[in-house]
Amino acid sequence: MLRSVFAKTAYDQRRSLLGWVAAIVLLVLMYAGIWPSIRDQPSMSDFLNTMPEAFRSLFASSGADMSTPVGYIQIEFMSFIGPTLVIVYAVAQGSRAVAGEEDRRTMDLLLAEPVSRSRLLLEKATAMVAGTVVLTATLGLALVVEGQLFDMVIPVDRIGAAMLHLALLGLVFGAIALAIGAVTGDVGLSRAVPAGIAVVGYLVNGLGPMVSWLEPLQRYSPFFQYIGHDPLRTGVSGPAAAVAAATVLVLVALAVVGFRRRDVHG
Amino acid sequence: MTGTSIVRTHGLTKHYGATVALRDLDLEVERGEVFGYLGPNGAGKTTTLRLLMGLLRPTSGAAEVDGLDAWHDSVEVRRRVGYLSGEPALYPKLTGAQHVDFLGHLRGTDGRLAAKRFAERLDLDLGRPSRELSKGNRQKLALVLALMSLPDLLVLDEPTGGLDPLAQQEFQAIVRETTGEGRSVLLSSHVLSEVQRVADRVGVLREGRLIAVDRLATLRERSLHHIRATFADAVEPLTFAGVPGVRDLQVHDHSMSCSAPETALDAVIKEVGRHTVLDFECAEAELEETFLAYYEKEAVHAP
Repeated sequence: MLRSVFAKTAYDQRRSLLGWVAAIVLLVLMYAGIWPSIRDQPSMSDFLNTMPEAFRSLFASSGADMSTPVGYIQIEFMSFIGPTLVIVYAVAQGSRAVAGEEDRRTMDLLLAEPVSRSRLLLEKATAMVAGTVVLTATLGLALVVEGQLFDMVIPVDRIGAAMLHLALLGLVFGAIALAIGAVTGDVGLSRAVPAGIAVVGYLVNGLGPMVSWLEPLQRYSPFFQYIGHDPLRTGVSGPAAAVAAATVLVLVALAVVGFRRRDVHG
Repeated sequence: MTGTSIVRTHGLTKHYGATVALRDLDLEVERGEVFGYLGPNGAGKTTTLRLLMGLLRPTSGAAEVDGLDAWHDSVEVRRRVGYLSGEPALYPKLTGAQHVDFLGHLRGTDGRLAAKRFAERLDLDLGRPSRELSKGNRQKLALVLALMSLPDLLVLDEPTGGLDPLAQQEFQAIVRETTGEGRSVLLSSHVLSEVQRVADRVGVLREGRLIAVDRLATLRERSLHHIRATFADAVEPLTFAGVPGVRDLQVHDHSMSCSAPETALDAVIKEVGRHTVLDFECAEAELEETFLAYYEKEAVHAP
């Protein structure tokens, strides 16, 4: 069971991950359960149309239609709750990986053994990726299975595409947390910085289409890579996925370099 | 000369910002010896040990373990070393046996049998999660984890802190066996009494400088004692001033106080015995005082 840093990190996560999975299954069940009554209420779309444009742009990306399952899930789940859940999870894992281990002083225990700092960090990063994949896969599965129960049918490949982009979005912020924790060893900082960037990134992406000076910045927001091309309708965007994946890789590389060079806090 | 020392540092220096934690340390630990690394809290002992483990990067100078650089070849160094940190932390939910299993896998050697034996000797239950253990038992577990790979060098930061007297005795026996097998031990402490039963040599650190390295026997001879005596009659200061090694002598008609190294005690007591004694007191001084008295001047005057 405890054969490596990766296995240990995964083992540590087992209970919390189980909690996350249960929460997601229930949350999706709730959204799917409400769907029939939303569908039968065409005035919902009219109501959305009366909302200020800025508000719609923030919470209902690219003019989704509430009367279709895709539009409903897009607006109600994928634009805010879904990303929040996955980002919170990934940031917690990224922050725990190095800074958390140092904060609890257990890093000394690990680094008393003949394991290089790079390997330790890469195994921790892999565990973060694995946990995020489990989380988004569960979410995708819940959307497919529970959606069927309430006639909220979305093509499976589109859900898969959206989950891929969602996982990458979470990992971008998880990797920021990991890198800041690896470079500074500061748990607080490794959570605060990605949280701040997430808020700014969210606003820039949401308000970009309406605020002229923000528009050129929109495509740099991780949220733009995540949802700008509307994955529930158009599927996977290769370039967007590549940008997100490259961001994660660069951040992990920075984390390795930073962690190898510095003093470990005791 | 290469090959005789398991630990060797050259001008090892560590700054934390403007604070100098360790300056210009030249330290050697020979193979097969127990080296007691002494000094008050904050003197730089932990910094030295963490530099050896590659947890800290030297500001200047270098540390070698078994001929390998402690920073650049840290992984190879750690393969040869068992380390107990100064304030050992454990995983609260894991049992002792799970710690043994996990860290054994990271090291690539199965330490289960050795760990079981050490745990039995220290009277430690490996089956309980570490959060349920008392402070003393957590210390035992951390110690077992450092010992279990039977490494060439043990680097132990304040190993007996929190151990009960029985466990301390067992620990000392384990340390002696370790060097009996040709392996080496570097252990730190802020009190001499913790290391005096096991150390072959002792180094004393003060404010980041190594002020003395000596054989334990020599150190004991020099260890200062505070003597205080009250007499029935007035005494002459000169009678005590003549005893070699006596320092800080104060005589106020019926009473006398002074400090003297262990080697001068006999002469002092004989001198005291020539008078009628009402009260007599003799106590070993703090280690630091001994060192301030005998070694610091030498360190300052050294070229």
